[in-house]
Amino acid sequence: MATRDEIEKYLPLSEATCYILLSLVEPLHGYVLMQKVETMSQGTVKIGPGTLYGAFTVLEKEGLIVKVHERDRRKSYMLTSKGKKVLQEQVRRSEIMVRNGIEITKGW
Amino acid sequence: MENQTVRKFKWFWAWQDEKEEAWLSEMAQAGWHLKWPAFPGIYTFEADAPRDDVYRLDFITSNKDYQNYLQLFQDAGWVHLGSMGGWQYFRKTRQGNESPEIYTDPESKVQKYRRLLSLLVVFFPIYIVLITNSPSDATHPIYQIGKLLGGFFVILFVIAMIKIYLRINQLKRL
Repeated sequence: MATRDEIEKYLPLSEATCYILLSLVEPLHGYVLMQKVETMSQGTVKIGPGTLYGAFTVLEKEGLIVKVHERDRRKSYMLTSKGKKVLQEQVRRSEIMVRNGIEITKGW
Repeated sequence: MENQTVRKFKWFWAWQDEKEEAWLSEMAQAGWHLKWPAFPGIYTFEADAPRDDVYRLDFITSNKDYQNYLQLFQDAGWVHLGSMGGWQYFRKTRQGNESPEIYTDPESKVQKYRRLLSLLVVFFPIYIVLITNSPSDATHPIYQIGKLLGGFFVILFVIAMIKIYLRINQLKRL
């Protein structure tokens, strides 16, 4: 059972990590994930293989994602419940920031 | 008919990876394409039509899941040319104006240099122990030369660690 501190130590997530977690609500492997993130972020976030490989390693080690499948030297990962909690908290914080941002930059 | 190959010698320090990447790109634009990195400082090139290729070097310290690692890069369109002491050589043809990257944010790029730094930091004390354990009654010139070389490498080690540490700091953002 993840405590509040255990979740907060991962925040804030980098844009790349946030999109990776968002994508892994369903099992995906490397390259498909890279394409999905580029589409989802409307081209604002691209993830290179070096970045992704590093992220997979760390996220798996920290228990935020889990390997569900491996075929043809490609691993598929999915969010764990801990990963879901971290993502949820990040989204909550980001939403507060974005609301502030929209309010302040209105009409610029 | 096999393409002409040529071997070139050029030295790049560990912290000059971006300079090395740029040089390999220049060679490709001149029609010389890296076949494989044979040995530190020695490169084997193959002649072919000039190509606007981007070369990127990664540095890894663990070979765990190496096949998955290579597959991921391959899926993303990178050709793996070989490895040399942890350094992985990749190539991709440029499409449009943007340069393809293997590290797309500073945080992950920092990890690469951290791995390099951690390797140096681990080996530095081992190296110091090794060179300070030479026989005490050694007056023969060969030991003097050995000490000089040893001293030279100690300085090199320190320079490398400082340069890489500075590079890491450069990459950290707001």
